[in-house]
Amino acid sequence: MSPDLAPGDQLLEGRVVLVTGGASGLGLGMATAMAAHGAAVVLACRRPETGEPAAVQLREAGHDVRCVRCDVASADDLRAAVEATVTAHGRLDCMVHNAIAPTLGPTRIQDVAQDHWDAMMATAIRATFEGARAAHPHLREAGGSMILMTSAAGMEGSASLPVYAMVKAAQRTLAKGLAAEWGADGIRVNCIAPVALTPAMERAYGENPVLHERLLERTPLGRIGDPLDDVGPVAVFLASEMARFITGQTLCVDGGGFLGL
Amino acid sequence: MADGTRTLLVGDGPLADGLHDGLVHRGHVVAQVVPVGADGGTDIDAGIGAGVSLIGPPDLVVHVPQVPAGPVALVDQTTQQWVEACEAPMAEAFAVARACRPHLSDGARLVWVLPTVAMGGAAGYVGSAAASEGIRALAKSAARQWGPDGLTTAVLAVAPELAFPPDTGAGARTSAATTLTGPALGGPGDAFGDIAPLLDLLADPAARFMTGATLVADGGVWMAP
Repeated sequence: MSPDLAPGDQLLEGRVVLVTGGASGLGLGMATAMAAHGAAVVLACRRPETGEPAAVQLREAGHDVRCVRCDVASADDLRAAVEATVTAHGRLDCMVHNAIAPTLGPTRIQDVAQDHWDAMMATAIRATFEGARAAHPHLREAGGSMILMTSAAGMEGSASLPVYAMVKAAQRTLAKGLAAEWGADGIRVNCIAPVALTPAMERAYGENPVLHERLLERTPLGRIGDPLDDVGPVAVFLASEMARFITGQTLCVDGGGFLGL
Repeated sequence: MADGTRTLLVGDGPLADGLHDGLVHRGHVVAQVVPVGADGGTDIDAGIGAGVSLIGPPDLVVHVPQVPAGPVALVDQTTQQWVEACEAPMAEAFAVARACRPHLSDGARLVWVLPTVAMGGAAGYVGSAAASEGIRALAKSAARQWGPDGLTTAVLAVAPELAFPPDTGAGARTSAATTLTGPALGGPGDAFGDIAPLLDLLADPAARFMTGATLVADGGVWMAP
């Protein structure tokens, strides 16, 4: 397929996308943008009571969106979500692994609780592994792609969120390794490093009142991103034919906040 | 350089052993902790406690995480293989940071010795490379948290040939995948003569204004950026 575009073309027409953590925040923003570009989208949500209303709202807007229950800490749930997607739509073109356990407030390395460590590893690292394994045959058949979410914290470290920084760094190199392994299968793997106003970010503002001001100070574009309008189009791009020669890369979608790459 | 430097070395295998010998050769007083998972190993808390009892509060802590045998494609790995390749080294590194922190005082440094695949990823070693990059982020976070207390961290990134099991040939294949021309200095170096002196350098008070950074010592393969 040629990436040549005409005005108004939908970049993901006929594509099928699975988004973990798709009920709210970044996941919902990316899912909405991808649906608006013609993709059939499956929201994989730990709590269907929040995911299903989001899916209903998007269907009412004319999009092909459904919700499946999926706790990404469970390999069985991840496999079931992938299979449900393929059963419903016959294919899987893109898997976006966005879900992650809640970050805690500022924590010293020596005070990190074991259950926090376990939750971050399960949702960010193990879930990437299990999700990748489950999605691989379908992505290979479709010539598709995988998108992982990383963070500037993973690239520059974090004084307040050391475990989050670790798993986000690991996910970024995981994407590079997968890109190397899966290139021959025609599968691309990339990362997005966003800064956007999400429920998680709003909670972080509550825990750290100066965070918003400090983020703005380091952001040349002078505002915090929007999950739908700022991050969503980048997910659309990476999942589309437009990005067919891009793999193993991280796109920072943060208004220029991190310039270290 | 740092004669009499008290060094706690956590790790096992040819790389850790070469660093041990190189540091002793340069006058360090070294206690080596062999972690659980290696033959005859001990848990990190107990091992670091025992090491400190032996040499006193360390000036330098060096952690050399294990790299599993391989390569194995991610889709062919079992969950247990994944845990051993990716999650266990990160957990071990975190445990080292936590366990040694109470024993570190102003001027002390914590260094992780990792393969350069942390930065570039590696086919066949997806989990291991990801773990190394996670540990690199830990070094940065620890530098930011502990800097006000006068503690510093660093990563010493070495050629995969030194970090990967030597009998697999995986190190050479991985290096070859990252460069068109081979190492600028002709080879991956050796732990005793090429890498241990850099640990000595990092332990020197003259290096105290460098923290959280990665020093690449792979003979000139990885040069970005």
